[in-house]
Amino acid sequence: MDSSIDIHKKSSARVEAWRGMRATLPVMLGIIPFALVLGAQATQKGLSIVEVPLMTGMNFGGGSKFAAIKLWTSPPHILLIVAMSFLINSRHILMGAAFAPYLRHLSKRQALPALFFMCDESWAMALSDARQETSGTVSFPYYLGAAITLYLTWVVFTATGAILGPTLGNVEHYGFDMAFNAVFLVLLRGMWRGFRGCRPWLVSLVVAALTSLLIPGAWYVATGATSGLIAAVFWREAI
Amino acid sequence: MIDAPTITIIVLMATSTYATRVLGYMVLRNRNLGPRMLAVLENVPGCVLISVIAPAFVSDNPANLSGLAITLLAATRLPLLPTVIIGIISTGFFRHFLGQ
Repeated sequence: MDSSIDIHKKSSARVEAWRGMRATLPVMLGIIPFALVLGAQATQKGLSIVEVPLMTGMNFGGGSKFAAIKLWTSPPHILLIVAMSFLINSRHILMGAAFAPYLRHLSKRQALPALFFMCDESWAMALSDARQETSGTVSFPYYLGAAITLYLTWVVFTATGAILGPTLGNVEHYGFDMAFNAVFLVLLRGMWRGFRGCRPWLVSLVVAALTSLLIPGAWYVATGATSGLIAAVFWREAI
Repeated sequence: MIDAPTITIIVLMATSTYATRVLGYMVLRNRNLGPRMLAVLENVPGCVLISVIAPAFVSDNPANLSGLAITLLAATRLPLLPTVIIGIISTGFFRHFLGQ
């Protein structure tokens, strides 16, 4: 009896992991060209072919590395690079917090390593998937399937970019960077709760856009997200 | 192949990146949240995602803005994969014909 339940659990976990892996397919269209470009840029800035996958493998998250590579000088300015990557990644504090109620069914020992593999895309995919599930929790194998697939894609293709190097040319000249916007817009549509419910998004959009125009660097994510959340509290109180 | 300052930076970046990932989770994991906190958390995904892509909305490049408009339209009615493909192709098209 027990063993049959176990087998059922295992096979459904495999199905869920596979579902997560498949769901990353559109996201990869954006990630692969960018990973190639980042790897190539990093070697041009003097990182070695061993250091590139080490960098992308140890801290996963595209944005911070693009900023780090842009700021990379020889010898590198350690504090500036580390501070900038913290600033860009500070959104993960909010993201982890929003994730917490959906990870209630997991032990700390399961959740902490799993969070290492979290990126914007896998986090948003797992979250919107969880909101549709009746259990109201994240499907753990689905999340792992998606997150680890994206992680491996990222590491493998940044390394490939480092090896191919300058032969790649400028991939940004094609339209591949639009893939990120497309993914994020579709994820946002999935979270749409009518205009009234989504007014905080508008605040975030306007504040982040203005910040990006006025202040150099990556402050716009922090200012945009924070002002939207303050507006959300305000509108809640006002009702 | 590997030099010391580079490795120092990579390790420091890795530590700060991982810290941001677990901090929010660790603080909230065993709490019962009040309605105000829940209202905030409910809005986190939307506010974060839209902030990340906000600079695209104020690009000074007409080709990028046109590509974004098509992508936005596609995103309101199509699934993920077709939207991504339409976004890439239309943006590549506009960049080619309107210039960078």
